[in-house]
Amino acid sequence: MNAQELSKPALLEMRKVGKDYRGVAALKDIDFDLRLGEVHAILGENGAGKSTLVKILSGAVAPTRGEIRVEGQPVQIASPALARRYGIAMVYQETSLVPTMSVAQNLYLGDEKFFNRLRGAYIEAQQFLQSLNFPVDPTAIVQSLGTAKRQMVEIARAVRLKAKVIIFDEPTATLTPEEKHHLFALIDRLRKSEVSIIFISHALEEALDISDRITVLRDGAHIITGDARTFSRETIIRHMVGRSLSDELYGRATDGRKLRRAGETVLSVQNLSMQNVVRNTSFTIFAGQVTGVFGLVGSGRTETARIIAGVVKRDFFHGGDVRFQGKSVRYRTPREAVGDGIVYVTDDRKGDGFFETMSIAENIYLGQISGRNSRGFVASMSETRALAANWTNKLAIKALDGDSRVIELSGGNQQKVVIAKALVQKPKLIIFDEPTRGVDVGAIAEIHHLIATLADEGLAVIVISSYLPEILSVSDRILVSRQGRIVEELSPDEATSEAVMFAAVY
Amino acid sequence: MIPFRKAMDRWLGRGEASITTPPMDGAFRPNDRLDAAGAILETPAPDGLAITSQGLIVSSGRSLLRVDKGTSTPVASFDAEITALTGLPDGGAAVGLNDGRIIFVGGQYDGRTIAANARASCITALAPAMDGALILANGSATNGPAEWRRDLMEKNASGSVWRLEPSSGLATQLAGKLAYPNGLIDEGAAIVVSQSWRAALTRIAPGDGGRGVAVLENLPAYPGRLSRGADNVTWLALFAPRSQLVEFVLSEDRYRRRMISEIEADHWVAPCLRAGRSPLEPTQQGGVRQLGVLKPWSPNRSYGLVARLDGAYRPTMSLHSRANGRRHGVTSCLSFGGRLYFCAKGDGIVASCADEGSTP
Repeated sequence: MNAQELSKPALLEMRKVGKDYRGVAALKDIDFDLRLGEVHAILGENGAGKSTLVKILSGAVAPTRGEIRVEGQPVQIASPALARRYGIAMVYQETSLVPTMSVAQNLYLGDEKFFNRLRGAYIEAQQFLQSLNFPVDPTAIVQSLGTAKRQMVEIARAVRLKAKVIIFDEPTATLTPEEKHHLFALIDRLRKSEVSIIFISHALEEALDISDRITVLRDGAHIITGDARTFSRETIIRHMVGRSLSDELYGRATDGRKLRRAGETVLSVQNLSMQNVVRNTSFTIFAGQVTGVFGLVGSGRTETARIIAGVVKRDFFHGGDVRFQGKSVRYRTPREAVGDGIVYVTDDRKGDGFFETMSIAENIYLGQISGRNSRGFVASMSETRALAANWTNKLAIKALDGDSRVIELSGGNQQKVVIAKALVQKPKLIIFDEPTRGVDVGAIAEIHHLIATLADEGLAVIVISSYLPEILSVSDRILVSRQGRIVEELSPDEATSEAVMFAAVY
Repeated sequence: MIPFRKAMDRWLGRGEASITTPPMDGAFRPNDRLDAAGAILETPAPDGLAITSQGLIVSSGRSLLRVDKGTSTPVASFDAEITALTGLPDGGAAVGLNDGRIIFVGGQYDGRTIAANARASCITALAPAMDGALILANGSATNGPAEWRRDLMEKNASGSVWRLEPSSGLATQLAGKLAYPNGLIDEGAAIVVSQSWRAALTRIAPGDGGRGVAVLENLPAYPGRLSRGADNVTWLALFAPRSQLVEFVLSEDRYRRRMISEIEADHWVAPCLRAGRSPLEPTQQGGVRQLGVLKPWSPNRSYGLVARLDGAYRPTMSLHSRANGRRHGVTSCLSFGGRLYFCAKGDGIVASCADEGSTP
């Protein structure tokens, strides 16, 4: 950072800001400042306090103590509306758009005139979205859009409101590389027009690439703030977890270990089709191996997995064949698939993975009783507790006890509960869909270790991921998905990032 | 309920009526290893391979040729096409002819001819049994070996496996109702047979009433001849690819019947040993270049494929000649002296490559 940038005034300051929940400090007297026209990355494991910090800034949560200054003036950000008045906008990971309204209506929501010409609004919105390089139809209803496009609308809304501070919470988690490129170009343009950006991401490379300064939080406390150029991936991880994890995380599968040989054919998917999302795809899965499935968002990976697991149905006419252990299967419900030994660990753990109001023990027990041979909903409390204790211990789920509610856990521990819920069903084939999305680096290493252990025990394991280093590190065999079908198979020793990405895109 | 369900499946294209083909991945992951193999002989329609006391011999049309360092020497010639060939433990060879006769060349039965058996005249494969007998695969009860496409399109399962005493010519049927048996291996207590139209290998034991148990199913191509290599390895030649188009035609009975009656067999929508040579073919193997590889937009009717199977008949690796390759229609393969030899009948080439025995 040069002297000119250093001399830029602080647009936003937090002094000794803290937040307690039921007497427990979630944020411990943080000092933080955001300069005019800078991109400031906030990094930390899940539970480090990043979300609490940005929630305070966006008015969603009131701080217990401390002072916030905007342009040198002390302010109380009591609500999101007040935050917007101070020029602070937040782009959420789960978007806050009205799903039943069109894109243009969402863009102008809260800014309507007395008489509104819908056609004019659409034209204006079209021009505005094009100026941001976002390929979104302004007349499209938001609920019909994919996650990436919804996020684009969310970003466009923040830009349109002429926010001085835009907070991005995991903005790239669902974007394709091309969309990421557009987003980073947009962030760069915003920076040049002196908009300040707070950027939260688990992808450390992105933070290193895009940000001017980096702040690392750990256990609710401020650890370090510095020029991004003074950090490396390893130093960030060390600050985040308090130890070096780089060897455990994202080492190549071929480094230091032998690839697992294919066992019996467990699953054979033949010419599977579902509308234009899954298009005549075929592949085989073997026991005792981790098969990584890489593809961009929208390449049909998740939908294929969901058909296999009975969550969604393939085409009614000529939808193809799924053979599990040599037998042609067609599940109408996930329960049937679970009964046969296929479990699917969802990529949307909050939506489909667990019941957030239930305890860890109840969630794991639900996994136990979801099989075909269960006793239905006759729950045994002692069995529930014993099961929870066993799996909490086995997967090192960090919680006070099995009665803790899942919603109170960090992302990594929530994911472990979802995995425990799947493993308790004693599967023969387990499908992990984005197993480490929104999970902190410490838990990522543990989940990767668990995946390897399952394959070593002879299970057939599928790992679907959009994060290429993850695929390269965990897989014994890599399948690449593009436009609804598997287009390439690679072994890890020949799979370079370029080769996999080339197959995924072209 | 079952007839109703079957009717529903046929209408919806589900279950047994689903028109699908297995993926070529895992051990069947495509490569160009057959095309990379060095050619050792170019001859019209090489079909069978055998090791005898004279060395490697290959059948081509009506001739039996000895192959040595890129040259071929005639060993014997016959008055009918050779349809099956096997080496015998005594250093001789047994030859099956198009008219159903079996002739011994070399060894203790040199010159002996066993007359055609009316019930087993479509000899597709021969193999020596451990007790000195000869095992014979009779592909079809109604079609000859040259009419294999007709047999597939008629959806026949009329093949059989026989045991033949070379000294007396006595033939005993071991199994029947097989879907074009086309490769044999004697295991002593049982016989493993490749059934081309079921895309499967089946083990037939004396006590099972000839029904057999599948040891490998759901193959992505039609299996042909089998040969035993070192370390209990089995080599399998798969002579033509399965495709959804052909599976679809097989499910369309009226179309199929008209095609058989009105169109010349070479131009049927059916697999073949080499496609792309006639402008009258139903698909011309047009292609697009993807990832630097020419991929057909229309299903290719011919392909080159050899698979290596482990002791439990599980595929461990394979060698391919893809749509743009020039080693299609592999009818035989065998491992000898650290090299793998194969006949690409579709392209008239005998080639060899190192038998690496490596697994992916």
